[in-house]
Amino acid sequence: MSGVIEIEGLRKTFRSVRKGHRVAVAGFDLLVEAGQVHGFLGPNGSGKTTTLRALLGLVRADAGQMRVFGADAPQSLPQVAHRVGAIVESPQFFGNFTGHRTLRLLAVAGGVPVSRVDEALEQVGLRDRGHDRVKGYSLGMKQRLAVASALLKRPELLILDEPANGLDPAGIREMRDLMRTLAGNGVTVLVSSHILAEIQLICDHVTIISRGQRVTAGPVTEVLAGFDRNECLVRADDLTRAEQLLQAAGLTVTAHADHLVVGGVPDPTLISRTLGEQDVWVRELTPVRPDLESVFLELTGAGQQPTLPRQTDGGSAPGLSGAPSIDLDEFRGVQA
Amino acid sequence: MNLIRAEAERLAARRFVQLMVLLLMLAFVVTAGTTLASSHTPTSAEVAAAEQQAAAERSVIEREHARCLARDRGEAWAQDRNHYLPADCSEIDPVVQGWSPTAANYLTDVFTFTQQAEALLYFLVAFLVLFGFLVGASYIGADLNSGGVVNLLLWRPRRMTVLGTKLGTLLGAVLVLSVLASVAYLVTFWVIAQVAGYPGPTDATFWADLAARWGRGVGLVLFATAIGFALATVGRHTAAAVGAVLAYLVVWEMGGRIMMQILDVSRPDQLLLSNHVGAWLAGELRFWDATPCADAFTGYCNGTYPLTWHLAFVVLLLFTAGLTTTAFAVFRRRDLI
Repeated sequence: MSGVIEIEGLRKTFRSVRKGHRVAVAGFDLLVEAGQVHGFLGPNGSGKTTTLRALLGLVRADAGQMRVFGADAPQSLPQVAHRVGAIVESPQFFGNFTGHRTLRLLAVAGGVPVSRVDEALEQVGLRDRGHDRVKGYSLGMKQRLAVASALLKRPELLILDEPANGLDPAGIREMRDLMRTLAGNGVTVLVSSHILAEIQLICDHVTIISRGQRVTAGPVTEVLAGFDRNECLVRADDLTRAEQLLQAAGLTVTAHADHLVVGGVPDPTLISRTLGEQDVWVRELTPVRPDLESVFLELTGAGQQPTLPRQTDGGSAPGLSGAPSIDLDEFRGVQA
Repeated sequence: MNLIRAEAERLAARRFVQLMVLLLMLAFVVTAGTTLASSHTPTSAEVAAAEQQAAAERSVIEREHARCLARDRGEAWAQDRNHYLPADCSEIDPVVQGWSPTAANYLTDVFTFTQQAEALLYFLVAFLVLFGFLVGASYIGADLNSGGVVNLLLWRPRRMTVLGTKLGTLLGAVLVLSVLASVAYLVTFWVIAQVAGYPGPTDATFWADLAARWGRGVGLVLFATAIGFALATVGRHTAAAVGAVLAYLVVWEMGGRIMMQILDVSRPDQLLLSNHVGAWLAGELRFWDATPCADAFTGYCNGTYPLTWHLAFVVLLLFTAGLTTTAFAVFRRRDLI
């Protein structure tokens, strides 16, 4: 199988006299195929940025093979660089240059028509501020400028490392729309982010990395389906009796203060039918679907690590189905 | 070519570069203004009086030289022990020494181009050396520190090409600026001497000597620029270059000099870069070394030795090339994180 990005067995250890050795990536594999919007997830320090930097020739890999558009990376990157737009972490720019000048210098260096600068600024919503100095930009505006720099060459492959960093909700939505538009135009997108809800909304495929190794990969729907425990959240007028009836019906029930979580329910109507027949009336019956955040935390164990993900945007992410998100402790309780 | 154009534009747009050019212009204006204000065109009477004084002084020097030669020939009139004459008569030979008094030496409050050109040139070279070093260091240091190099490498993933283009563009820009600034500087002072001072006696030798010093000065500016660039590349930061130079000055030029004196190292002065810089600019510097005279308890012992610009060129070139090669080798393998 050939992909736009192929990484096999990537290894990278940082060696420092003071800090000793630190294994950043330990035999990581990644496959991104043409046309995908591919989410790349992992906790802080899991090796995401190192992987992207190695792919783009910014750090030297100790072992492994990498190919971009079939060209060996980083040796043959110059042959395909014009097809790849990338930002890695939060790029910084000279504060005294305007956004327009920053992009123009890149365009000149890369042999891209300077007319593309205004188009790229327009694409990221910075056209009106293009002639302001970068030092006057907010973090979000700098991030947009970085994305604009990646878009300058009309890339066929866009690699975005934490593109939503510093963006406000409106900016995040614009970024999401932009990526969808690009994907709609046939651009392959590899996006790493710690805002898992965003990844779930815009990506069709996902790879999760933890401690330098891939822990899962595949279409988002398949990854989520693998963690679906057929659970339902139930609220009823008589919660104690409802619990007894459902347990009597052979279902796994976990009681909470104002609701029950019922497991092993292939069809939710089984619950309403069981309770209704005994005059216990259901007030709420919601299938509990795992979302990417739950899966992510489950797979990476990030919630139990001393170092948590930098941010999860203030809470749980909505699930694909629109079901309410799951409280992590509850989710683990259900697993148990 | 596109990369060179982008780098030239990036360099010119740097605030620090603009500030340094402004300082250069300010120094230029202040120096020229001060000179213009404190000088006047000498009257023919002043020139005549100065020429008379110079002629008198020349005859004294020539007489002393003649007496010295007569002493060496054993002529009786020159054997007065109370009259000091050097052991080596060439030391007071005006032809060998290449200097004899001229009217310019006796004109007061008059800017004389031939007298001042060398000092003015050295001042400009010193400024341009500082300019080249700091701009060279900050150009790559700020780029490495801010992620500008990473941005560029995402577009042009050829490290050696990117770094080479940066250094080449930098050296080219500094060369152009140095040539333009020094020509404008010397021409301005030449004009000041013409309209409000005294040009002095200029001949082909004077111009050739000035041109040679100018050429070597510009060369030194390029060496300093490359060294600043290389040190900042290795250290990843502008401050690393400045720190390295300060460390060198304190550790080697001061500490090393003291250690060499304690250890009686032969010809220690030739082991110090600052002396090679001086020799490169001046054409030749002479130093005294006690080692050959250690056994000379009586009689004349000449312990001096020269540092010529030829040797200085080789030393400075090897030093700069070594640092630059190291910088490229380090950058080629470095993880850019």
